[in-house]
Amino acid sequence: MQKHINIKNNIKQLPFLAEELEKLGEEWQLDIPVVTNLNLVLEEAISNIVFYAYDDEKEHEINIVATKNGNEIVIAISDDGKPFDPTKKETPDVSLSAEDRKIGGLGIFLIRKIMDSVNYKRENGKNILTLTKSI
Amino acid sequence: MELTTNKKGDFTIAEINGRIDTTNYNEFETQIMDVIEKGEKNIILNCEGLNYISSSGLRVFLITQKKLMGLKGKLHLCNMQPAIKEIFDMSGFSSIFKIFNTEEEALE
Repeated sequence: MQKHINIKNNIKQLPFLAEELEKLGEEWQLDIPVVTNLNLVLEEAISNIVFYAYDDEKEHEINIVATKNGNEIVIAISDDGKPFDPTKKETPDVSLSAEDRKIGGLGIFLIRKIMDSVNYKRENGKNILTLTKSI
Repeated sequence: MELTTNKKGDFTIAEINGRIDTTNYNEFETQIMDVIEKGEKNIILNCEGLNYISSSGLRVFLITQKKLMGLKGKLHLCNMQPAIKEIFDMSGFSSIFKIFNTEEEALE
Protein backbone atom coordinates (compact mmCIF):
# COMPACT_ATOMS: atom_id res chain seq x y z
CA MET A 1 0.00 0.00 0.00
CA GLN A 2 1.30 3.43 -0.86
CA LYS A 3 0.18 7.02 -0.37
CA HIS A 4 1.63 10.23 -1.76
CA ILE A 5 1.20 13.50 0.11
CA ASN A 6 2.55 16.70 -1.42
CA ILE A 7 2.80 19.88 0.58
CA LYS A 8 4.24 23.35 0.09
CA ASN A 9 7.10 24.77 2.15
CA ASN A 10 4.69 26.61 4.43
CA ILE A 11 4.22 25.77 8.09
CA LYS A 12 0.48 26.43 7.71
CA GLN A 13 0.31 23.16 5.78
CA LEU A 14 0.83 21.13 8.97
CA PRO A 15 -2.91 20.83 9.80
CA PHE A 16 -3.47 19.52 6.24
CA LEU A 17 -0.68 16.98 6.82
CA ALA A 18 -2.33 15.89 10.10
CA GLU A 19 -5.67 15.41 8.29
CA GLU A 20 -4.03 13.36 5.54
CA LEU A 21 -2.35 11.15 8.16
CA GLU A 22 -5.67 10.61 9.92
CA LYS A 23 -7.17 9.45 6.62
CA LEU A 24 -4.14 7.20 6.08
CA GLY A 25 -4.61 5.74 9.55
CA GLU A 26 -8.22 4.86 8.72
CA GLU A 27 -7.37 3.40 5.32
CA TRP A 28 -4.51 1.30 6.67
CA GLN A 29 -6.31 0.56 9.97
CA LEU A 30 -3.43 1.84 12.10
CA ASP A 31 -3.71 2.28 15.87
CA ILE A 32 -4.11 5.89 17.01
CA PRO A 33 -0.71 6.02 18.83
CA VAL A 34 0.98 4.90 15.58
CA VAL A 35 -0.73 7.70 13.64
CA THR A 36 0.22 10.23 16.36
CA ASN A 37 3.86 9.14 16.23
CA LEU A 38 3.93 9.35 12.42
CA ASN A 39 2.39 12.82 12.66
CA LEU A 40 5.07 13.84 15.16
CA VAL A 41 8.05 12.61 13.11
CA LEU A 42 6.64 14.18 9.95
CA GLU A 43 5.98 17.49 11.70
CA GLU A 44 9.57 17.55 12.99
CA ALA A 45 11.07 16.67 9.59
CA ILE A 46 8.83 19.04 7.61
CA SER A 47 9.25 22.01 9.95
CA ASN A 48 13.05 21.64 9.70
CA ILE A 49 12.77 21.76 5.91
CA VAL A 50 10.36 24.72 5.94
CA PHE A 51 12.48 26.77 8.38
CA TYR A 52 16.02 25.90 7.25
CA ALA A 53 16.16 24.41 3.75
CA TYR A 54 15.42 27.47 1.63
CA ASP A 55 17.15 30.83 1.30
CA ASP A 56 14.72 32.16 -1.30
CA GLU A 57 11.14 33.28 -0.78
CA LYS A 58 9.80 31.01 -3.49
CA GLU A 59 7.26 28.26 -3.16
CA HIS A 60 8.70 24.75 -3.10
CA GLU A 61 7.09 21.35 -3.01
CA ILE A 62 7.89 18.72 -0.41
CA ASN A 63 6.97 15.17 -1.37
CA ILE A 64 6.04 12.50 1.13
CA VAL A 65 5.63 8.87 0.12
CA ALA A 66 4.31 6.48 2.76
CA THR A 67 4.49 2.76 2.07
CA LYS A 68 3.19 -0.14 4.15
CA ASN A 69 4.66 -3.59 3.56
CA GLY A 70 3.15 -6.00 6.06
CA ASN A 71 4.09 -4.64 9.47
CA GLU A 72 6.65 -2.19 8.17
CA ILE A 73 5.96 1.45 7.43
CA VAL A 74 8.44 3.37 5.29
CA ILE A 75 8.20 7.12 4.87
CA ALA A 76 10.33 8.93 2.31
CA ILE A 77 10.45 12.73 2.42
CA SER A 78 12.12 14.64 -0.40
CA ASP A 79 12.80 18.34 -0.82
CA ASP A 80 14.85 20.48 -3.19
CA GLY A 81 16.39 22.60 -0.44
CA LYS A 82 20.01 22.97 0.70
CA PRO A 83 21.85 19.71 1.40
CA PHE A 84 21.15 18.74 4.99
CA ASP A 85 21.80 15.38 6.62
CA PRO A 86 19.84 15.16 9.89
CA THR A 87 21.50 11.85 10.76
CA LYS A 88 24.73 13.84 11.30
CA LYS A 89 23.11 16.17 13.81
CA GLU A 90 24.44 16.02 17.34
CA THR A 91 22.21 14.21 19.84
CA PRO A 92 21.07 16.32 22.81
CA ASP A 93 22.00 15.03 26.26
CA VAL A 94 18.57 14.09 27.63
CA SER A 95 19.96 13.23 31.07
CA LEU A 96 20.71 16.88 31.96
CA SER A 97 18.78 18.78 34.63
CA ALA A 98 16.38 21.61 33.75
CA GLU A 99 19.04 24.23 34.53
CA ASP A 100 21.55 22.69 32.13
CA ARG A 101 19.14 21.53 29.46
CA LYS A 102 19.39 23.58 26.27
CA ILE A 103 16.19 24.91 24.72
CA GLY A 104 15.58 23.15 21.42
CA GLY A 105 17.37 20.48 19.39
CA LEU A 106 14.76 17.86 20.22
CA GLY A 107 13.03 17.49 16.85
CA ILE A 108 15.52 15.27 15.06
CA PHE A 109 16.21 13.43 18.29
CA LEU A 110 12.51 12.47 18.53
CA ILE A 111 12.50 11.26 14.91
CA ARG A 112 15.45 8.97 15.65
CA LYS A 113 13.93 7.77 18.90
CA ILE A 114 10.48 6.95 17.46
CA MET A 115 11.57 5.38 14.16
CA ASP A 116 13.62 2.17 13.83
CA SER A 117 15.86 3.58 11.13
CA VAL A 118 16.60 7.00 9.65
CA ASN A 119 18.56 7.21 6.40
CA TYR A 120 19.61 10.22 4.37
CA LYS A 121 20.77 10.57 0.80
CA ARG A 122 21.29 13.45 -1.59
CA GLU A 123 20.14 12.58 -5.09
CA ASN A 124 19.49 14.69 -8.19
CA GLY A 125 19.63 17.92 -6.17
CA LYS A 126 17.20 16.63 -3.54
CA ASN A 127 17.42 15.65 0.09
CA ILE A 128 15.76 12.29 0.62
CA LEU A 129 15.08 11.21 4.17
CA THR A 130 13.81 7.65 4.59
CA LEU A 131 12.24 6.64 7.89
CA THR A 132 11.27 3.08 8.76
CA LYS A 133 9.17 1.69 11.59
CA SER A 134 7.86 -1.77 12.41
CA ILE A 135 4.40 -1.66 13.94
CA MET B 1 -5.05 24.66 21.74
CA GLU B 2 -6.91 26.28 24.61
CA LEU B 3 -5.64 27.22 28.03
CA THR B 4 -8.08 27.88 30.86
CA THR B 5 -6.89 28.91 34.29
CA ASN B 6 -8.33 28.90 37.78
CA LYS B 7 -6.90 29.39 41.23
CA LYS B 8 -6.86 26.65 43.88
CA GLY B 9 -5.03 27.27 47.14
CA ASP B 10 -1.43 28.30 46.45
CA PHE B 11 -1.59 27.15 42.86
CA THR B 12 -2.92 28.45 39.58
CA ILE B 13 -4.24 25.52 37.59
CA ALA B 14 -3.94 25.83 33.83
CA GLU B 15 -5.82 23.23 31.82
CA ILE B 16 -4.45 22.56 28.37
CA ASN B 17 -6.86 21.34 25.72
CA GLY B 18 -5.96 20.18 22.22
CA ARG B 19 -2.69 20.04 20.33
CA ILE B 20 0.53 21.98 20.83
CA ASP B 21 2.54 21.96 17.63
CA THR B 22 4.75 24.16 15.46
CA THR B 23 1.74 26.17 14.27
CA ASN B 24 0.48 27.23 17.72
CA TYR B 25 3.22 26.77 20.35
CA ASN B 26 3.71 30.56 20.47
CA GLU B 27 0.08 31.05 21.59
CA PHE B 28 0.71 28.58 24.42
CA GLU B 29 3.94 30.37 25.31
CA THR B 30 2.27 33.82 25.34
CA GLN B 31 -0.61 32.60 27.50
CA ILE B 32 1.51 30.81 30.08
CA MET B 33 3.98 33.72 30.28
CA ASP B 34 1.01 36.06 30.86
CA VAL B 35 0.01 33.93 33.85
CA ILE B 36 3.55 34.19 35.27
CA GLU B 37 3.76 37.94 34.58
CA LYS B 38 0.55 38.42 36.57
CA GLY B 39 2.51 37.19 39.57
CA GLU B 40 1.61 33.48 39.68
CA LYS B 41 4.68 31.49 40.68
CA ASN B 42 3.09 28.13 41.52
CA ILE B 43 1.48 26.58 38.47
CA ILE B 44 -0.14 23.23 37.79
CA LEU B 45 -0.45 22.35 34.12
CA ASN B 46 -3.33 19.88 33.88
CA CYS B 47 -2.55 17.92 30.70
CA GLU B 48 -5.69 15.77 30.60
CA GLY B 49 -6.90 17.37 27.36
CA LEU B 50 -3.46 17.58 25.74
CA ASN B 51 -3.54 15.01 22.95
CA TYR B 52 -0.50 15.92 20.85
CA ILE B 53 2.82 17.65 21.47
CA SER B 54 5.85 18.18 19.24
CA SER B 55 9.30 19.53 20.05
CA SER B 56 8.03 23.13 19.72
CA GLY B 57 5.58 22.49 22.57
CA LEU B 58 8.18 20.69 24.69
CA ARG B 59 10.37 23.75 24.28
CA VAL B 60 7.67 25.92 25.92
CA PHE B 61 7.37 23.48 28.85
CA LEU B 62 11.14 23.76 29.38
CA ILE B 63 11.10 27.58 29.11
CA THR B 64 8.26 27.70 31.68
CA GLN B 65 10.17 25.39 34.04
CA LYS B 66 13.33 27.49 33.79
CA LYS B 67 11.37 30.72 34.31
CA LEU B 68 9.57 29.42 37.42
CA MET B 69 12.78 27.95 38.87
CA GLY B 70 14.35 31.39 38.51
CA LEU B 71 11.41 32.86 40.45
CA LYS B 72 11.64 30.11 43.09
CA GLY B 73 8.18 28.94 42.03
CA LYS B 74 6.76 25.50 41.36
CA LEU B 75 5.63 23.83 38.16
CA HIS B 76 3.64 20.62 38.55
CA LEU B 77 2.20 18.60 35.68
CA CYS B 78 -0.69 16.19 36.04
CA ASN B 79 -3.23 13.92 34.28
CA MET B 80 -0.93 13.29 31.35
CA GLN B 81 -2.17 10.92 28.62
CA PRO B 82 0.08 7.84 28.17
CA ALA B 83 1.16 8.84 24.63
CA ILE B 84 2.25 12.28 25.87
CA LYS B 85 4.03 10.77 28.88
CA GLU B 86 5.93 8.56 26.45
CA ILE B 87 7.20 11.63 24.56
CA PHE B 88 8.26 13.18 27.90
CA ASP B 89 10.08 9.95 28.82
CA MET B 90 11.90 9.81 25.46
CA SER B 91 13.00 13.44 25.74
CA GLY B 92 14.32 13.05 29.27
CA PHE B 93 11.60 15.52 30.37
CA SER B 94 10.05 13.12 32.89
CA SER B 95 13.04 13.65 35.18
CA ILE B 96 13.02 17.44 34.69
CA PHE B 97 9.36 17.91 35.65
CA LYS B 98 7.31 16.90 38.64
CA ILE B 99 4.55 14.79 37.10
CA PHE B 100 1.55 13.70 39.18
CA ASN B 101 -1.26 11.29 38.35
CA THR B 102 -4.04 13.57 39.58
CA GLU B 103 -4.67 17.26 40.19
CA GLU B 104 -5.25 16.53 43.91
CA GLU B 105 -1.77 14.99 44.18
CA ALA B 106 -0.26 17.91 42.28
CA LEU B 107 -1.80 20.34 44.77
CA GLU B 108 -0.05 18.77 47.78
